[in-house]
Amino acid sequence: MLVVRFRKTAPAGARRVLPALAGAALPEELRDAASAALFTAGHGVVLDLAPGPLLVGIGTPARLLDWEQAGAAAALALKGVPAVLLDARGLGAAEAAAMAAGMALGAWRFDAYRRIPAEEAPPRALTVLVDDARAARAAWRDASAATRACLAARDWVSEPANILTTRDFVRRLRLLSRQGIEVEVWGRKRLAREGYGALLAVGQGSASPPRLVTLRWRGTLDAPPVAFVGKGIVFDTGGISIKGAAGMEAMRADMAGAAACAGAMLALARRGSPCPAVAVLAIAENATGAASYRPGDVLRTASGRTVEVVDTDAEGRLVLADALHHAVSRFAPRAVVDLATLTGAIVTALGHHRAGLFGNDGALAAALAAAGEAVGEHLWPMPIGDAHREDLASDIADIRQCLVGRLLPDACHAAAFLRDFAGEGPWAHLDIAGVDTQDAPHALGPAGATGFGVRLLDRWVAMHHEEADHHPAPGARG
Amino acid sequence: MPDIAFVKAALPKSGALVVPLAEGAAPAGLFAQADKEAGGALTRALEAAGFKGRKGQATTLWALGGFTKVVAVGLGRESELDGAAAEAAGGALIPALAQDREATVVADALAAPLAASLGLGALLRAWRFDRYRTREKEEDKPKLERLAIATAEPNAAKQAFAPMRAVADGVFLTRELVSEPPNILHPIEFAERCKGLEKLGVEVEVMGLKDLQKLGFGAMIGVAQGSQHEPRLVVMQWKGAPKNRKGTKPMAFIGKGVTFDTGGISIKPAGGMEDMKWDMAGAGTVVGLMAALAGRRAKCDVVGLVGLVENMPSGTAQRPGDVVKTYSGQTVEVINTDAEGRLVLADVIWYAQERFQPRCMIDLATLTGAIIIALGHEHAGLFSNDDDLAARILAAGQAVGEKAWRMPLGDAYDKQIRSDIADMKNVGGRPGGSITAAQFIQRFVNTKDGPMPWAHLDIAGTAWSSKDQPTVPKGATAYGVRMLDRLVAEMGEG
Repeated sequence: MLVVRFRKTAPAGARRVLPALAGAALPEELRDAASAALFTAGHGVVLDLAPGPLLVGIGTPARLLDWEQAGAAAALALKGVPAVLLDARGLGAAEAAAMAAGMALGAWRFDAYRRIPAEEAPPRALTVLVDDARAARAAWRDASAATRACLAARDWVSEPANILTTRDFVRRLRLLSRQGIEVEVWGRKRLAREGYGALLAVGQGSASPPRLVTLRWRGTLDAPPVAFVGKGIVFDTGGISIKGAAGMEAMRADMAGAAACAGAMLALARRGSPCPAVAVLAIAENATGAASYRPGDVLRTASGRTVEVVDTDAEGRLVLADALHHAVSRFAPRAVVDLATLTGAIVTALGHHRAGLFGNDGALAAALAAAGEAVGEHLWPMPIGDAHREDLASDIADIRQCLVGRLLPDACHAAAFLRDFAGEGPWAHLDIAGVDTQDAPHALGPAGATGFGVRLLDRWVAMHHEEADHHPAPGARG
Repeated sequence: MPDIAFVKAALPKSGALVVPLAEGAAPAGLFAQADKEAGGALTRALEAAGFKGRKGQATTLWALGGFTKVVAVGLGRESELDGAAAEAAGGALIPALAQDREATVVADALAAPLAASLGLGALLRAWRFDRYRTREKEEDKPKLERLAIATAEPNAAKQAFAPMRAVADGVFLTRELVSEPPNILHPIEFAERCKGLEKLGVEVEVMGLKDLQKLGFGAMIGVAQGSQHEPRLVVMQWKGAPKNRKGTKPMAFIGKGVTFDTGGISIKPAGGMEDMKWDMAGAGTVVGLMAALAGRRAKCDVVGLVGLVENMPSGTAQRPGDVVKTYSGQTVEVINTDAEGRLVLADVIWYAQERFQPRCMIDLATLTGAIIIALGHEHAGLFSNDDDLAARILAAGQAVGEKAWRMPLGDAYDKQIRSDIADMKNVGGRPGGSITAAQFIQRFVNTKDGPMPWAHLDIAGTAWSSKDQPTVPKGATAYGVRMLDRLVAEMGEG
């Protein structure tokens, strides 16, 4: 991650970035150039006056996100400039920290397997020139937690599936214990003993065994935890219902839900959130092999409910069924939010600009949507209709996993399926299949993994779950 | 189709008896009387048959208490008993009475408006389209000719039923148009049938190819040019506003009327193509709505416009790559000739605004397969630039059981339809396919001279039902007629 320092004096040799507010006067020496280039400080608009400063438009800022996005735009524009100076004099501490966070998000690259040519490389070090360095550093402590966590999630999602196997993913997650997060891992034997038949079935075709990982952050509040549940399919071939070859490489990102949940835990830990939280991550590889599960198989899930498999490529909802059950039965959480790159249907429905938001609780859904708006991760509510659940009636089991055919509302079907396993408490499901990666640079980063969900969940917790609760949920075991 | 009659509360001597019952309700009124005369046999038999009174439940008892049959239909929970529950009960009794010529419903326990709703439900469910069946066996034909609803207030029920009956006739007109095969119902024939609304007092104006050429409907003509059938634009005006409200702006409804959609040069696969006869359901709904409003003499000015075309592949058909100039002056690069509905709507919507300056504008179209993938068949997709209008539409739909779900719009989606050669292209790729279609249409909503509340209903998933529903038999649903009739009643007449 971009190395960020806050200083009251400018170091030598760094390229200067100057934020410009719409309608505010620019320094005298820049006015001619800015006006010649028709620069009006529009939000996210960048004007490079090399060797002078790089101007970045803030527009008329209404929220910290505007500053973050401007920072990201500046970082995306700065190529081959290793050291950058952000002139944040005159800005508040929160605004300066937000711009730095945005620059860190924009400067992120995944370069584990290549050397980015020097002239293409993003900035590596940022000095933020501020009036009050102490206040800015305090603001940065919180802002950097979610930023760092988001970038960790991006890294995990970017890793290819031959490296990030189930075991390797678990190894990385164990490192979170350094941040005070408890990590518990269930392997095949434990899963079999506990009857987690859906997760085991999805993972049984792979040489990389399935794992159920539980991350726990105790916090300080005496309240039931919030629970995040993530789909962590490290690679999805589709299994016996194998996918077409075109685009299959993108399936290395099919663990983005789990990555987002783990990232959110990291964010909470890094900023020392008082809110108790758990994340339950269902990790498996959906491989095609002699041992793979088949269409027609009937699985007994951890909840005892049986599921008829009709398409082995609808594996995400199966592993989530066991993970959701685990979360609600073991932790009696005050709310459960699951994240999954679940369906192609949600991409057809909402494209790449919004994730699908399903659930059983209007207040929870509204709170999540608001948190998403605040961090630039947009959701859109989607329905679970009676007909969607009726469609899943099975001739042989308690429920059918999905339908097969054309023009099916598969995202709604998937949500209707998950609802059966999500218990009675508030639950929301985010289908992030369209937003986990982007083909082109976006408002908060370059093309590639977005880390979608980390900042959203962190913000949701911060907005709703960090004050002492006067009415803990009945029966909560903490 | 049965006649629905409201009669005084009295038990019939014989024949078929229908008893609507709420969950756990004790026998009362006429039903209690019939049960008593039968020595309690009716309640005992219902108990034995597992009848619980659940909404839409129907149980038939044979030869009891002097009746050939007794049909119990469920009203659901008494505390939740509303028009929708009464309609569902009315719908549920129809299949049970297929072989009876007459039947009496003992609805004396229901308030008059609910008795009327029960009659409406029965009527809506009893409709069928059998015009092209020439050898149907006698025993397969439904026989019900008269459904008498015995109620404490027959006059009040009759009064409540009259506007419902008009709306039902609108629904039936829509269902009929949507059901008609495409060799019969081509644009010219469709326009002819619109003329039928004149006898209800609707002003109907039909424009042909020459008129459209003169106006410059380049997008709509482009779609139609592959077909042997000329396009038609039909403008229907219902001027029902009372004298003191004359001159207020009308509400405008615009329908996509592709009488058959082969996809054109971007031809569709063969499987399921026959369904494309109902690609005119948006237009069919607008026509049925106008009939409903005129039929019940709605006190409001409403205009309905339908763009009627057939989308065919041929030597004269438009090609992918063509650029057409719309009536608005904006140009469109046609990438996929199967995204034709939005081309038709583009011209008609602009025309509706130019000519009528409506107070709001709602278009209906079986527009995208993507909306079925997004929402399924329970909800239509609702797109709008106006939160208030959207909320009213959602509420009106909820009230009559025609549900919609709001979908997003936004600049990020609009970018997907940028063209390299024209003002826009007509498709934006698979991601967010219904949203980009709505963005396309929104480009033809003119907000330059002030706000123009607009909503777009993508009814591709709701215009046709593959199974029977309580008040909608399998087939054409006429989704939207009742919803928009309700909307007009609340927005335009309230």
